[in-house]
Amino acid sequence: MSSFGLLAAIWPLTTLGHYVSWHVIQISVANLIVIILMVVTFIVALFAPFPGRRRRKENP
Amino acid sequence: MRSKAFRPDVDAPEWKGGHSPYDIIKEGTIALVVVSILTVLLSVAFGSPDDPSITIKAWSTNAPMDFATTALSELNATSGSAQYGAPYNHASTGQQLGPLTLAKWIGVRVPVNSVNDYIIDPLRSLPKQPALTADLSQWSSASGSTRAGWVKDYSQAANQMQIVNGQLVVNATNAGPLPVMMADLFQMARTGALDQALVTQNGFYTSDYTLPLLFLADGTYLSGIAQKQHLTGDQWGMMNETGNYPGQAWLWLYTFWYQIKPFNASGNGDVLVWGLMMVLSAGLLLTPFIPGLRSIPRKTRVYRLIWREHYRSLP
Repeated sequence: MSSFGLLAAIWPLTTLGHYVSWHVIQISVANLIVIILMVVTFIVALFAPFPGRRRRKENP
Repeated sequence: MRSKAFRPDVDAPEWKGGHSPYDIIKEGTIALVVVSILTVLLSVAFGSPDDPSITIKAWSTNAPMDFATTALSELNATSGSAQYGAPYNHASTGQQLGPLTLAKWIGVRVPVNSVNDYIIDPLRSLPKQPALTADLSQWSSASGSTRAGWVKDYSQAANQMQIVNGQLVVNATNAGPLPVMMADLFQMARTGALDQALVTQNGFYTSDYTLPLLFLADGTYLSGIAQKQHLTGDQWGMMNETGNYPGQAWLWLYTFWYQIKPFNASGNGDVLVWGLMMVLSAGLLLTPFIPGLRSIPRKTRVYRLIWREHYRSLP
């Protein structure tokens, strides 16, 4: 194996992209996944308790 | 003294409760470390977009007729870039926003002469070509009307343009030196010499790709590849990336306008979208001063969800 082979990605995403179409909207599956992850992160941030909450409760 | 009425969107009541320590440096450091680790892991797993660059050599080899007809459009100044106006030339008004001729006001900042920049100057850079040197001298010493006559004759004859054994053949009898010059340009393109000539004529450093990019964009080869990769303006291309990689998702609003009327049907679409986004950006920037808009956080009460522990303890 060449030294460049060692540097290659495990699952390179270089194949032709996949797209989702709905009326005027066209979005790549990769972008859709990123947007869903961002929305999930936002929701988790809303509902996840603040770090240190338990400690504050123990030492009011 | 009369006290001012409390304005819920603007005024904040004085906090009389306790305070908790908060270490923003610690939080920033944790975020940096997490993002760095994620970046390395994702790079190892998926790599990064690295499509080979599209060259004029590849264009003239894979789509020789498209290259030849585009070179002809540069010669007779009918190409997209030759007709664009500012910042490249004075051929048209350029992008305008209603009565505001913005591109024209800024002026020709990147002058491009399609005949000289794409044909004459690159050919002049070829060393040791006595026949070509003679043809270029003939072109240089000819009057403007003579050149126009040659270009007209060559353009008419180019309807029967052919590629024979890798050579560009146009049977133009009254086109002066043009048949030889254009055939030499075609050969220059196929060897890759034209790629180099177009980036080096602006100086020693070869980082200015304006000329080859405009030339490629004037043909259909580049747009065909872009279309296949979903990168053109009418395919939300601004937020896409090559392959299966995620692109610039944050440009969704900017590229959205290009998909609908009147923006996608206007020759001034770029400046119309830019103008609209400037208005929307100003609205976002001035949110604290816009009644109604500035009340959205207070009325949606998302803050009460985030700080629910605090608000639970309040009456």
